[in-house]
Amino acid sequence: MLIFTLRRFNLFIFTMLLLTILSFSLSFLFPGEQLINLTGQIDASPEQLAILADEYQQQSGLLSQYFSYLNHLFHGEMGYSMTSNLPIATEVLNRLPATIELTCVALLVAMFFGLPVGFCAAIYHRKLPDNLILTIAMVGYSIPVFWLGLLAILVFSIQLGWLPSAGQISLLFEIEHVTGLQLIDILLSDSPYKWQAFQDATRHLILPVIVVALAPATIFMRLARSAMLEVLDTHYIKAANAKGLTFSQIIYRHAMRNAVIKVIRDVGLQFANLVTIAMVTEVIFSWPGIGRWLIESIYQRDYTAIQGGLIVLSTFIFIVHIIIDFVYAALNPLAREPRNGKR
Amino acid sequence: MNLIDIRNMSIELKTGTKPIFAVDRVNLTMKEGEVRGLVGESGSGKSLLAQAIVGVLDEKWRVDADRFHWRGNDLMRLSPAERKAIISKDVAMIFQEPMACLDPTTTIGEQLEEAVDVEQLTGFFWQKRQQRKQAAINLLHKVGIKKHEVCVKSFPHQLTDALCQRVMIAMALARRPMLLIADEPTAAMESTNQGQIFRLLASLNQLKNMSILLISHDLENVTHWTNNITVMYSGQFVEAGTTEQIFNQPYHPYTRALVDSSPKANRMIPNKSRLMTLPGSIPILQHLPIGCRLGPRCPRAQQKCVHAPKIKNFHSHQVSCHFPLKDSYS
Repeated sequence: MLIFTLRRFNLFIFTMLLLTILSFSLSFLFPGEQLINLTGQIDASPEQLAILADEYQQQSGLLSQYFSYLNHLFHGEMGYSMTSNLPIATEVLNRLPATIELTCVALLVAMFFGLPVGFCAAIYHRKLPDNLILTIAMVGYSIPVFWLGLLAILVFSIQLGWLPSAGQISLLFEIEHVTGLQLIDILLSDSPYKWQAFQDATRHLILPVIVVALAPATIFMRLARSAMLEVLDTHYIKAANAKGLTFSQIIYRHAMRNAVIKVIRDVGLQFANLVTIAMVTEVIFSWPGIGRWLIESIYQRDYTAIQGGLIVLSTFIFIVHIIIDFVYAALNPLAREPRNGKR
Repeated sequence: MNLIDIRNMSIELKTGTKPIFAVDRVNLTMKEGEVRGLVGESGSGKSLLAQAIVGVLDEKWRVDADRFHWRGNDLMRLSPAERKAIISKDVAMIFQEPMACLDPTTTIGEQLEEAVDVEQLTGFFWQKRQQRKQAAINLLHKVGIKKHEVCVKSFPHQLTDALCQRVMIAMALARRPMLLIADEPTAAMESTNQGQIFRLLASLNQLKNMSILLISHDLENVTHWTNNITVMYSGQFVEAGTTEQIFNQPYHPYTRALVDSSPKANRMIPNKSRLMTLPGSIPILQHLPIGCRLGPRCPRAQQKCVHAPKIKNFHSHQVSCHFPLKDSYS
């Protein structure tokens, strides 16, 4: 287990190295002066620029420039936004929690909905439920997100009026900013209207989460279905059958865990996809997350913000990856210990 | 009373065009306490037959039999659920690759515990849990695993093949079966481990009067451990009799060839001479010959062999051949 942890840690360091190199080189590739792209201070006087050039070691070689950039990153200095003149770090810190909330809830919803439905399809292989689920999965996967989002707003918020169409919480509620995760903040606060606020925040969450979760859920369905079919075909299921276990015992005790193990790694891979979908969804539902901010920065040619947002988002995705890898190792005894010659 | 009595069991592979009889009208009878070998080349349908008895074949196969009696009960008249209830109570099966037959993500202990029969436990559920654990440990002791603490906590990939097979046997014993079907239990195992497993099975047979159906492709090896042998070829019944009858006086040309094909230490074979073999190889399922399926390879085949032969009985030595080798021994 220790070796497994060290391996993941190693992977994390190298990926971060590559990411920072990419982000550093972006400041050269963007139009304009490199130093200004890096710091985002477009209105700086020549004296200030000279101080900045000294700070970022502009006069020495590329390598030491890169290291001073890393140094700044580790101190949480990612420059200033070109449009709002606020530090990127505070901008990101204000917005990232909303995105974490949206994507994590969507991932959980997609998993808890997609996996059982996929298993169900495998159990009724080539029967009516299977065909029905496959059809729904195909349709769900093919619907474009932006269209689905708009349609959801049109039907559920405007025509039926069931759910709010935009934002994270109604403006009536005042919630202290502690962790940034809205639902947790509400539970921590001691406002007398805590439960109303919680209900309201949940109602705001429902539509965007469904829109984000739909496409990944359909992918999970298909992955879970094929994994379950594979597992049901193995010798140990046949042996369990010969042992006299009933079908539901076989499914719950043996087939499900093995099928989940086969799927869980792909869940991690799908998370990057899910974040992309979440970015689009944030724009549609005016969700105050980092995705919307990043897309706006792209429109406004805010190069410093693009760089910073890129690093933060990919780090977030990568951390989720590693967490899912640990879940995989917890479920699969074979992954925990390295075996010679077999991997 | 016969423990199991099967007449003309056919197993049919459902295909788009015409069904293929992978097993064609095979007979099998076993008495209580008997060790019977089921011998045939790979692809002769012996594993299929065993799986059909236990009822773990999947939907693409269709099983049919004129008679399928289990201790006087006609199983063909029962519904599949009732059949499974009876069979899983009294019949256990162990498979070829023990490692692949254990769930890789569950510990040996858990897998053993779930095999323990509920009826053997008494008391409340917390007592039952304790008893279940104890029963699992006892089962491990019965198959000769002394370090039960280590074994219970391990995962299948941490044990050797032979240990896994012992665990499989332990699981099979959990329900105290009357019949144990062992489907090539020692395939891909070293000969010392093979001996251990066979000795374990033999002692179970002697001490608990458990009948064993031993499936193997190795006629010579099986003869050490069995009372009776049934030989199959390409899904057809060939010959059945006591081990001595089959090994010393086979009546069927196929059994004769099978016995002759294994080299023996006491028989002088000149250097570099060819071992006796039948020409050709076992037919594939898509192109099965009509009548006796050995026909194209049989040294004694004649025109009559395009019709399937009737089973002839010589003093409980049954043979399915138009031209048995009966006269060549007298």
